[in-house]
Amino acid sequence: MTIAQALRTLAGLALLAALVAPAAHAQDKPRPGGVLTWFDYGDPGRLDVHAESPLVVQQATAGIYSGLLHYDPDDPSKIAPDLAERWTVSPDGKTYTFYLRKGVKWHDGQPFTSADVKASFDRILNPEFQSPKCGASLKPMVAAVEAVDASIVQFRLKFPAAPFLPSLASAWCRVAAKHILAKYGDLNQPEAQIGTGPFKFKKYERGSVIEWEKNPNYFIPGLPYLDGVKQFILVGGPTQLAAAKAGKVMLWDAWPPMRKTQADELARARQDVDIFQASINTIFLVYLNAQKAPFNNPDMRRAVNLAIDRQEMVAKALEGAGVPCAILDPKLSGDFALPLEEVNKVPGCRQPKDADIAEAKKLVEKHYPGGVDIEVAVRAVGNYVDRAQLAIAQLRKIGIRGTLKTHESAAGYAAWGKGDFTLIATQDRAMDVNDPSGVFHIAYTTEGGSNYGRMSDPKIDELAERALKESNKDKRRQAYWELQRYILSRGDTATIAVAWVEGWFFTDKRLRNYKPGLTTYDNNTFMKVWISP
Amino acid sequence: MREVSRLVRRQPLGAAGGIIVLALVAVAVLAPRLAWHGPKEAGFAPYLPPSAEFPMGTDQVGRDVMSRVIWGARLSLYVGLVSVLFGITAGSLWGAVTAYLGGAADTGSQRVVDAVMALPPIILALALMAALGQSVNNVIIALVVLLTPTAARTIRSVALGVVASPYMEAARAVGASRWRIICRHLIPNCLAAYIVLITTNVSYAIVVEASLSFIGAGAPPDEPSWGGMLTAGIQALETAPWMILFPGLAISLAVFGLNLFGDSIRDVTDPRLRGGLG
Repeated sequence: MTIAQALRTLAGLALLAALVAPAAHAQDKPRPGGVLTWFDYGDPGRLDVHAESPLVVQQATAGIYSGLLHYDPDDPSKIAPDLAERWTVSPDGKTYTFYLRKGVKWHDGQPFTSADVKASFDRILNPEFQSPKCGASLKPMVAAVEAVDASIVQFRLKFPAAPFLPSLASAWCRVAAKHILAKYGDLNQPEAQIGTGPFKFKKYERGSVIEWEKNPNYFIPGLPYLDGVKQFILVGGPTQLAAAKAGKVMLWDAWPPMRKTQADELARARQDVDIFQASINTIFLVYLNAQKAPFNNPDMRRAVNLAIDRQEMVAKALEGAGVPCAILDPKLSGDFALPLEEVNKVPGCRQPKDADIAEAKKLVEKHYPGGVDIEVAVRAVGNYVDRAQLAIAQLRKIGIRGTLKTHESAAGYAAWGKGDFTLIATQDRAMDVNDPSGVFHIAYTTEGGSNYGRMSDPKIDELAERALKESNKDKRRQAYWELQRYILSRGDTATIAVAWVEGWFFTDKRLRNYKPGLTTYDNNTFMKVWISP
Repeated sequence: MREVSRLVRRQPLGAAGGIIVLALVAVAVLAPRLAWHGPKEAGFAPYLPPSAEFPMGTDQVGRDVMSRVIWGARLSLYVGLVSVLFGITAGSLWGAVTAYLGGAADTGSQRVVDAVMALPPIILALALMAALGQSVNNVIIALVVLLTPTAARTIRSVALGVVASPYMEAARAVGASRWRIICRHLIPNCLAAYIVLITTNVSYAIVVEASLSFIGAGAPPDEPSWGGMLTAGIQALETAPWMILFPGLAISLAVFGLNLFGDSIRDVTDPRLRGGLG
């Protein structure tokens, strides 16, 4: 090749690159339009994000509302401003002042002011109001909320609390309109879904679909990119998987995660998706009713704690995707979690289980020489029924004969809340915030919103409170280690940590800028997601 | 023996059905000895394919599918026989007695039968299970409610013919009491139809139980119900097709055998084929 030919070739290549590069670059640029499709695992029924706790409710309304803060859609590990554009903290760490965005409007055109923030949080923090998510997190920490003026709100804390901002940024602590709360009394109805979020509530067909449409007056210009979001209500793993395989949904990012067998099936059916394994910051718990026989007897509770084979549960029910035994998962909580080497030596967690089974049998025989028959309750969602059958098989070895009773999802939660059960074979609890305090204040403390077993241990309350209030990181870590060790050494708690749940998820390759949150609730607003052609 | 071999020659399909039914009964009775493991024992690896150790593989929680299919025969037969015995017997007595009493008693009871039979059976069964709760015994109760009106209607029509017969009139003429006539003459002459109803409805009861369990409204999921096993198998259709294959075959074979046997019983006992009542 002569020099002239080489130069011509180079020029041609350069021209080609110049033509192609903008097109390639254009693929990565946000593109408005399109409707994202995904699914809700059950029918929410009630839509009050302040009062409810099932994920289906939060998913149904996530894009409608904004909070004072949220987790950054571009980096979900970081807290970012939302309705509050900035905030300051007093030197003693007990007063947080939030400066609200101006010019924000509710979906019905009414102006957003600090009165809406005060009305929302006065409702959530009202001791008479049951708020199992936002309220359960904030009530131990917050003393009062004041509207200083139309665009400034102050939160006064009872003590300097490290989890306060992460809790406030939680997807459950959304701001509702004062005039809507006054008009409807609650947020249960579709008509009450008036928010300031990137999407407006368009439609709710019970048992079928929930639709959002783009909010053209969203306070961040240019967002959202999507024209809308459609959530199909798909109950049951086979239905959800069939929808995924058929291309009816563009992502699977929430509970329940896919199992390995489902992920493999999807991979065979579709090559246009990205499949990945992840934690969903969710703990698999077994509950014993400490208020009635046989589990008002600590020996019987101890027997179940010893007999439940957490490793088998993870291997079979979660197909290996989970961290057994840990009350805090080191992958999520870092060094706040006890080392797994220590946890796995504790009675109930150690393998092989022969010694634990033998001791558990003796405990049961001491009080029920012929064994005991109990009802084992479970909500018929996800693969809970399979987990329950495993639990029944495990308990049978120690003389506890379980009869399975299944509940429809919402009916099950109602039963748990009323204490209308003997043993709940499985109930996942997703963390609202990625903070070590979460699991204890949800499931172990006396006032815990999901302390369904109603066991009260003043020492657990005291240790959890101390750890919550500790601002020094090392001392906080020591406090949480002491709390975990105390619970594990007690061995007769009514809440039994079986495993932290992991699973498989997928996103359509056309989906851009979707980043899963650190909890299963965060980053479901899709405000910065777009669909490439 | 001669009579048996004559029947087999006359009803070869019925004989085949009878063999299947006998096998089903044998499996059900001998389940504790035939099954290699308990029906709820979950100590094995999940989704194992059929092998020498697990001829029908294992399911999603690590239970031996063959053991559950064998124990499922016991559950199916228990549900089928008990529900049919109670339902058909109650319905037959109801139909026979009201047919004899006639008048308002007969008219009124037939309107009740009409009302119940107007409801689609599976919807009625679902409603009953929702009210009663999931358990094997509640499935039996639901089936009894379904079977009773059908039996009442069928036996009533047979009983009306018997009531009109000359020997019934003769019994009344000699002063036999109403209940003596019902017990000594009416009911025995409805027995053939009763037996046919029993044999032909056991398969129906098994299918209804399997259907209810399949949609999650029948026996609790941990019970070795063939229908319930199909539900679990659907979740792993690609991964573990044996979870559906073997319980499905079991249901098909049981229903096939019972139908053949029941049809044969009907043919043998039908008076039109035998030359009339004796």
